[in-house]
Amino acid sequence: MPAKKSALKNAFPIILLTIVVTVCVSLLTYVDKLTREKISAQEDEAVKTLLGEMFPEMSRYEFKDEIYTIYSDGDQLGYAFLAIGKGYGGDINILVGLSDETTIKGITIVSQTETPGLGTRIAEPAFTDQFAGLAINEVALSRDGGQIDAITSSTISSSAVVEAVSETAMEKVKKLKENQ
Amino acid sequence: MGKGKFAKEFAKGIILANPVFVLALGLCPTLAISTSIDNALGMTLGVLIVLLGSNIIIALIRNFVPNITRIPIFIVIIATLVTVVNLIFHAYLPATYEALGIFLPLIVVNCIILGRAEAFASKNPVASSIADALGITVGFMLALLMISFIRQVLGTGGLSVFGHDLFTLPVLRDHPIAIFILPYGAFLVIGLLMGLFRRTGVMKSE
Repeated sequence: MPAKKSALKNAFPIILLTIVVTVCVSLLTYVDKLTREKISAQEDEAVKTLLGEMFPEMSRYEFKDEIYTIYSDGDQLGYAFLAIGKGYGGDINILVGLSDETTIKGITIVSQTETPGLGTRIAEPAFTDQFAGLAINEVALSRDGGQIDAITSSTISSSAVVEAVSETAMEKVKKLKENQ
Repeated sequence: MGKGKFAKEFAKGIILANPVFVLALGLCPTLAISTSIDNALGMTLGVLIVLLGSNIIIALIRNFVPNITRIPIFIVIIATLVTVVNLIFHAYLPATYEALGIFLPLIVVNCIILGRAEAFASKNPVASSIADALGITVGFMLALLMISFIRQVLGTGGLSVFGHDLFTLPVLRDHPIAIFILPYGAFLVIGLLMGLFRRTGVMKSE
């Protein structure tokens, strides 16, 4: 039966590819299932560490409407939320803490893909510490009349952070007031 | 396979078939990440794991894979491997995962992996393919370290590795030559190094 044999021979590459894809997809599904819980626990832990660094007295937090409310036992310490800046090399994820509805507690750069050695300096304390204790409406670069000094030769990264922090803070405060 | 052949396949990847300077493979990730020594080492670790895995698997199945579907099969295997490594790192080695960042997923498009699968692992037994993977990784690492060193020192005026400042240069610290950190600086450095190695006869085009 040469005809049948050659049909099988022709189909073999397709069958093999199907098998390889099936095996790979099953493996991925399995590994995903295996690691999913661990990864989400990992991410929660990361958030908790970041919030704890910003609010050292934090004992617990609640997450609602994309805003973290930070408590120390019964007392409310402040709020935190994520702001996303449009940087030079992609999104800059910033965790912003508020000590009350008008004042910045501090900011932490969670992740960024700015130019190494230049824009990446937005994550250094020399830049981020400038935000601590400022009123939300003071968050602007010094050349625009605000309180933040931009990083030399990284104006795009610096202003991306400043804009994201000030815009998101205003938006979140508005939301907080509406909910009260 | 004798020791001699293993050593030969290993050594070949470092100079004679250096992936960056001679084969000109994996240039996209090289251009993108060779801005600091940290990045160079992170990318090397990712390539080591994935290249070793893909070379072994492909050498094992090389006799069953029909020519016509070999490329899609290799790509599916490599992409699966990268995703699995990515997930496992994320779950069990979160610090390393953070440090590697985008480099791990980027390895899917690193043509060194597919290049070695196609040019070597699909034609050679497992042991040689392991030697090939290790040699190519070392060659890739040396090339990345060289390029990253030049770019980091000239572009930022100093060298810091994993947060430790090793040295800073007096004038360059305040006036770094930013072009070296930017993408076109990478072309410049790679081109000059490649030219230098060819001119001096250290490495020859294949």
